[in-house]
Amino acid sequence: MAEIPDKFDAIVIGAGPAGSASAYYLATKGFKVLVLERGRSPGSKNVFGGRVYVAPLKEIFPDFEKSAPIHRWVTRERMSFMHGNELVSLDYEGNDHKSFTTYLSQLAAWMALKAESAGASIVSDITVTGLLKEGDKVIGIKAGNESVKADVVIDAEGVNRLVLESTGLVQALKPSQVALGVKEVVKVNPEVLANEFGLGEGEGMAWSLMGDVTSGLPGGGFIYTNKDSVSIGLVMLLDSAISGANDEVYKYVERLKTHPKLSKYFKDSRIMEYSAHLIPEDVSSLMPPRLAYDGLLISGDAAGFLLNLGYTYRGVDFAAYSGYLAGKAIEQAHGLGGMSAANLLVYTKLLDQSFIMKNLKRFSGTHKLMRNRRLFTAYPAMMASLMRHIYSLDYESQKMFNTVLGSAKENGMGPFTLLTDGIEVMRYL
Amino acid sequence: MMGLNIVLLFKYVPNTNTVNVDPNTGTLVREGVPSVVNPHDLDAAEFALELREKYGGKITAMIMAPPNATKGIEFLLGMGVDDGVLITDRAYGGADTLATSYVLAAGIKTLEHYDLIITGQETLDSSTAHIGAQLASWLKIPYVYYVTEASLDNGALVVNRQLESCTEKYKVKLPALITVLMHSHPPRPITLENKLRAVIKKPVMMLTNNELKLNIQCTGLRGSPTVVAKTEFVSKIPRKKEIIKDKSPQEAAAWLISKLKDEGFLN
Ligand SMILES: Cc1cc2nc3c(=O)[nH]c(=O)nc-3n(C[C@H](O)[C@H](O)[C@H](O)COP(=O)(O)OP(=O)(O)OC[C@H]3O[C@@H](n4cnc5c(N)ncnc54)[C@H](O)[C@@H]3O)c2cc1C
Ligand SMILES: Cc1cc2nc3c(=O)[nH]c(=O)nc-3n(C[C@H](O)[C@H](O)[C@H](O)COP(=O)(O)OP(=O)(O)OC[C@H]3O[C@@H](n4cnc5c(N)ncnc54)[C@H](O)[C@@H]3O)c2cc1C
Repeated sequence: MAEIPDKFDAIVIGAGPAGSASAYYLATKGFKVLVLERGRSPGSKNVFGGRVYVAPLKEIFPDFEKSAPIHRWVTRERMSFMHGNELVSLDYEGNDHKSFTTYLSQLAAWMALKAESAGASIVSDITVTGLLKEGDKVIGIKAGNESVKADVVIDAEGVNRLVLESTGLVQALKPSQVALGVKEVVKVNPEVLANEFGLGEGEGMAWSLMGDVTSGLPGGGFIYTNKDSVSIGLVMLLDSAISGANDEVYKYVERLKTHPKLSKYFKDSRIMEYSAHLIPEDVSSLMPPRLAYDGLLISGDAAGFLLNLGYTYRGVDFAAYSGYLAGKAIEQAHGLGGMSAANLLVYTKLLDQSFIMKNLKRFSGTHKLMRNRRLFTAYPAMMASLMRHIYSLDYESQKMFNTVLGSAKENGMGPFTLLTDGIEVMRYL
Repeated sequence: MMGLNIVLLFKYVPNTNTVNVDPNTGTLVREGVPSVVNPHDLDAAEFALELREKYGGKITAMIMAPPNATKGIEFLLGMGVDDGVLITDRAYGGADTLATSYVLAAGIKTLEHYDLIITGQETLDSSTAHIGAQLASWLKIPYVYYVTEASLDNGALVVNRQLESCTEKYKVKLPALITVLMHSHPPRPITLENKLRAVIKKPVMMLTNNELKLNIQCTGLRGSPTVVAKTEFVSKIPRKKEIIKDKSPQEAAAWLISKLKDEGFLN
C-alpha cells in the first residue's frame, strides 16, 4: 500500500478548472500532488454560463475531444437586443468546432478524474483555511487545526479568495469589482431544441442578450443549449444589483424565461438546477500584486484571469490554461533547484507570452463600457426603433441615415453622444 | 476480547433536498442529483466510532450499490472508519429489501470475523427499516432496533432501546445487529488526516458476484418479490403568506383560528 508522504511536492487549493489542470500536468510529470476541494466532490461547487473555448483545453489534455463531457458544439451564435417586447437579433451560423457547451460540474469532475488517473491525490470535503508559512515562505496549507506541508502551493480557489485574504495577499472583494451571475438549467423537450432553436444533432447555440434583460441594470443575459437542457441566466454588476435590484435575483431569470419572445423556448421546461456565483469584473483591479511568491502561485479566477467581452465570457479556458502554466513553471523551478519566488517568476513570463495576458491587456477597458448605462438601455431601444422604422413601412420609405438619427433622438441621444459612445466601443472591444 | 470488529452498513442516497419525482412515472429522478451518505447512517457511524474509542477494534463500512458509492465509503473513512467493502454487480440492480439483505448477508459472511453489525434506523429514500431485521434473520443473530447506548458486559452487549414512552434495556449475545436511533449521535466532522489516508491508501475492497457466487435468481430485480402496484401523487399544498400586523395577541390568535377554519384545517 502507498504511504502517506510527510510532505507533498505540490498542494493545489481547489479542484476547479485551474486546480485540476495544474494537478494533471504535475502528476503526469511525476510530481506528488495533493488537491484539496471544499465541495462534496470536484465539480459540485463550480458554476458558469455554459460555453467553453476548446483550443487551450486540447493543448492541456491531448484526448480532450475524445472523452470530455462535450454537450454540443456551438455552431450558432446569436446576439439579441431587447426592448420591451421587441427583439433585434444578429445570427451567425458557422461550422467549425471552436467552442462547446457543457455543464461545468461535469467538466470539472472530468478534469479532476484525469488528474487522479495521472496520480494526483484528490481530497474533497476539506476547506483550506490558511497557508502554512515559515517567515515569508509558504510551506503548506492549514485546514482548521490540521496542516499539510508541500514544496509549493498553487492557489486556485476561485474568485472568492478567502485563503489569499486571510493571508493578507489580497484585499476583501469590493462589490464594484465583481458581477453576480444567476443561472437556471432547465430540462426542455428535445423538439424544442430541434424546432425552436433550429439545432441538428450535436449542434449548439450560444445566445447573448442585452438591453431590457436586467430591467436596465448594467448586465446581460445568456442562453446556452446543452445536450437535452438549456442554461439561462443573467449577469449583473454587483454594486448596481445591490443598489438597483428591486426583486430577488432569481426572479429576473424567471422574468426572462417568460418574456413574450422567449417563452416558446421554455415551454414545458422543468428547472433542474439553480445556482448563483460571483464573476471577476474589474479584472485588472482584482489581480493580486504578484502571481508568484516564495512557495506560492496563484491561478484562475483567484488571479483575476477572466475575459468578459460583454457578449461572451472566457473563464474556464483561461483558468485551466493558467493552471497548466503554473504546472510548467513549477516543473521549470524544480529544474532550477527549488520553489523560490525568483525561480517561480517564470510563471509570470509564461503568462505574459500566452493568450491569457495578451487578451486581458487588449480588452482591459471593457469593464468600463459596462458602466455606460446607455449601452443597456438607450441603444437596445434605439436598435428596436430603428428596425421598427425600417420594416414597418406604411407608404414612404425613409433614408437609413435619417432613420438612425431619428431613432437616436427618440431615445434621447444626439449625434455627438452617438459618436463618443461609438468611439468608446471601438476602443475597448 | 481484542476489541470489537464492527460492520457499519450504510446507503448512498440522493440528497432529498434536491430530489424530484417524475410526475408521469412516479419514480425518483436520480439523474444529476448528487448523492450523500444516508444521514441517519452518519449517526450509526458516530455510534460505531465511539464504541471503537471505548473498546478498540475496527470498523468496516459496507454497502451494496453501484460503484459511485465509493465516494460514500470515502466520506466515512474521512470520519475515521478503518476500511470499506463495496458490493457491486449488475446482477444486484433493482433489488428490493429482501434481495438487498440477501446479498449483504453473503458479503458479511466473507469477512474473517465480526462481532457487531450497526445500521442506521432507516433510509431517506425508502425508509422501510427492513434491512436490519432481514439481515439478522439471514445470519441468525439477535437484533435490537432504535439503540441509543451500548456497552460490553462479559462478552455480551448491553443496549438501551429508545421507544416513544420508555427505554428498554437488553443484553444480547455477540455477534448481534443493532440499528441506531436517528438523530441520537450527531456525526463528528471529517478530518484531513483521515481523508488523506482514505485517498492514498484506498482501503476499499470490491466484491462482485464472481466472489459471492450467489444464485442470480435470488438477487436484483429477479430476486425481488416486491411489486410497486401504484404510486399516487400528493398534490402540493401551495404556501400562502399573510403578515399579522397591528393586532393584540388575543386578536391575532382569534384571527389565526378563523383563518385555519376557513382553510379547513380546523372545524
Ligand atoms: C454565471 C457565470 C457564467 C459564466 N460563464 C462562463 C462561460 O460561459 N464560459 C466560461 O469559460 N467561463 C464562464 N464563467 C467563468 C468561469 O466559471 C470561471 O472563470 C472558472 O470557473 C474559473 O475556474 P477556477 O478553477 O479558477 O475557479 P472555480 O471554478 O471557482 O473553482 C474553484 C474551486 O476551489 C474550491 N475552493 C474554494 N475555496 C476553497 C478552499 N478554501 N479550500 C478548498 N477548496 C476551495 C471551490 O469549491 C471550487 O471547486 C462564468 C462564471 C459565472 C459565475
Ligand atoms: C420494488 C422495488 C424496487 C426497487 N428498485 C431499486 C433500484 O432499482 N435501485 C435502488 O437503488 N433501489 C431500489 N429499491 C430500493 C431498495 O430496495 C431499498 O432502498 C433497499 O433495499 C434498502 O431499503 P431501505 O432503503 O428501505 O433501507 P432501510 O431498511 O430503511 O435501511 C436501514 C439501514 O440498512 C442499511 N442499508 C440499507 N440499504 C443498504 C445497502 N444497499 N447497503 C448497505 N446497507 C444498507 C443502512 O444502514 C440503513 O440505515 C427498490 C425497492 C423496491 C421495493
